[in-house]
Amino acid sequence: MDVRVTSLGETPLIEAWGDIDHSTCGSIETALAEALETGSGNVLLDLSQVTYIDSGGLSVLLTGVRLMRDRGTLGVIGPNANVRRLLEIVGLLVDPSFQLFEDKGTASAALEGQVTA
Amino acid sequence: MIPTDDLRPLDDLRSADDLTFHRVIRVEAETARLAEIRRFVEEAAGEAALDLERIFDCKVAVSEACANAVEHAGGHSLPLEISARLQARRLTFVVTDNGPFRRLTPAREDARNRGLGMPLMVALMDEVSFARAPGGGTTVSLSVLLDRIAVQPV
Repeated sequence: MDVRVTSLGETPLIEAWGDIDHSTCGSIETALAEALETGSGNVLLDLSQVTYIDSGGLSVLLTGVRLMRDRGTLGVIGPNANVRRLLEIVGLLVDPSFQLFEDKGTASAALEGQVTA
Repeated sequence: MIPTDDLRPLDDLRSADDLTFHRVIRVEAETARLAEIRRFVEEAAGEAALDLERIFDCKVAVSEACANAVEHAGGHSLPLEISARLQARRLTFVVTDNGPFRRLTPAREDARNRGLGMPLMVALMDEVSFARAPGGGTTVSLSVLLDRIAVQPV
């Protein structure tokens, strides 16, 4: 699995490729910590190139969402149907600090709208 | 190549519905082996003609059982055995570790979202069972019923 931290507009964006499992989720955790250190209200995580996730990765996302409370949201971009199903099973989709975006364009538009609103 | 036991010889007269196999891999209980275990599961589930969604579910469920065993091994290189059996339209994965029996109590689930594994296994599989293995380890059985009618979650 590969991870890169960039940004989309002002928002830190973590991009991941491959399988997120118990042996690889540490790098997502590190990237998330790095993104949070920027002090940004929101953090984006692009999962469109992620083929697999298990409880190792889901734990990191749940922790991320918890850290976003009273601060903003963790926005996940483009998970495939299987990954999305797992996000739903662990309750992430209904968490107020979690947002799901179809693609980067949608995420970008939503976050800009939030700033100008 | 993943070392697997050979397929049992199939009777040519059998229809695909009677397909039967039993194969086993043995690896050390380390998270680094999870990708290899997923490939084993993917091959077996694919051969049982499960659709891609159910293949994915099997990969996650078996990984969860293995991850529990790895956590339980606590850094010791304990052997982990994963078997896949297709028989009577039922595909069953059995994960057996050789550590002392793991007590499945809430105390084990700390604040770091651990304990996600078991709810995932239950959500993704048709049947899940835990047992004490004869040698003192723990056995987790995860089954998919091939003829079960899919029920959409409400």
